[in-house]
Amino acid sequence: MINFDNAATTFPKPLSVRRAVSEAVKRYGGNAGRGGHRLAMAASEALYSARETAAEFFGAEPENVVFTMNCTYALNMAIQGVMSGGGHLIISGLEHNSSARPAAAMAMKKRISLSIAEVYPEDERTIESFRSLMREDTKAVVCTLASNVTGQITPYREIGELCRERGICFIADGAQACGVLDVKLSDGINILCTAGHKRLYGITGTGLLITDGRYPISPIIQGGTGSASLSLIQPDILPDSLESGTPNITGAMSVKAGIDFVRSRGLRKIYSHESRICSRFMAELDDDITVYRHPCGEYVPIVSFNVRDIPSERAAAYLAEKGYCLRAGFHCAALAHASLGTKNGTVRFAPSVFSKEEDAVRLAEEIRSMKKI
Amino acid sequence: MHSCLRNEVMIMDVCIAEMTSYTYAVKGERLLRSRGYKCKVTRKDKNSGGGCGYQLNIYGHCREAAALLERYAIPYRTLSDGGA
Repeated sequence: MINFDNAATTFPKPLSVRRAVSEAVKRYGGNAGRGGHRLAMAASEALYSARETAAEFFGAEPENVVFTMNCTYALNMAIQGVMSGGGHLIISGLEHNSSARPAAAMAMKKRISLSIAEVYPEDERTIESFRSLMREDTKAVVCTLASNVTGQITPYREIGELCRERGICFIADGAQACGVLDVKLSDGINILCTAGHKRLYGITGTGLLITDGRYPISPIIQGGTGSASLSLIQPDILPDSLESGTPNITGAMSVKAGIDFVRSRGLRKIYSHESRICSRFMAELDDDITVYRHPCGEYVPIVSFNVRDIPSERAAAYLAEKGYCLRAGFHCAALAHASLGTKNGTVRFAPSVFSKEEDAVRLAEEIRSMKKI
Repeated sequence: MHSCLRNEVMIMDVCIAEMTSYTYAVKGERLLRSRGYKCKVTRKDKNSGGGCGYQLNIYGHCREAAALLERYAIPYRTLSDGGA
């Protein structure tokens, strides 16, 4: 079985991550931030060290790193938390449903007004698209750093700059970019939301919300934080305000090990390796395969394609029978597929650091030989 | 390590900073240690002022330590003398 569905979640995980998980289960049996005994303190220290690692990686302060269940949770917390008082929100036309749905739900309840900025292959047009929608009451912009469908990298630094000039909170979805691009809060991002289990190589059930602390985020979940326990009011300091309930210590340790792995391999090397595999894969495809890339665009290592007029799910099912894992359909990204005009979705090819070029070549052979199915 | 001389005998100041969260307690601990203070995060001795939580036991000049915490925007609830 060859996995090219790493944009959904990376597999396999690095050995160091597997060891960290095993170690966490064995050693960190206490509840972090909830006690003074040895087990609790060991778990607390471990969680803090994971926070420090993530903070350093993304250029943040440790207390501004919030562990979440996944990127969807982080985005919901950020969007609903920043927009809790109403106002105008802009999201990009490439957003995953994890941003688009909470935004749409708030708009449908008339709690906010919502605009959708078109994303074009040319950065200047995309920047202008955001600029033209910004208003006096625009409170936040949500933009993915890279599309989970096509891999297109958005001009996020420029969008961040537009936001900074106007005092607008810039919320970035880094699910497909973090771990292949050198993403930092200093790129103009106020709140970075990302998955721990994708290109940071942690286990499933992990995500991160990382903020520069400039824009308050009202919690959408309240509960035990291990601090200020006698008060019925949720603490307003980070990370406690956004981390109610027992934290996923094992998950956090896996993310720490995953980030250490990515750093040791090097972001550039990882990006080059996976991009080379994507390029070779595309080069091996016949002309009658539609690849959703534009010569003007920049892309993270993701390739969306369709095989002639074969529905994407059928194509992926065929390839699955041949031993290849690829994700078909709409990738939880209604807006992006509407922009692409892909009524039957696409098949998505997403290598990881462990993928091999020869496997991509063999996959392309299978695609070429695919008859009408 | 910061200390003071009292009656010709080396006696360390001990103070307790009641921290707003475990995260800030560790952040404060790292900062003070990097500046030569001996300190340790423990569970709060007394469940006063809002309930359970963590404290930073600082061995050294309390005022200087507190000033450092403030300079680096590390919040604490109270600072009390822990006895010498």
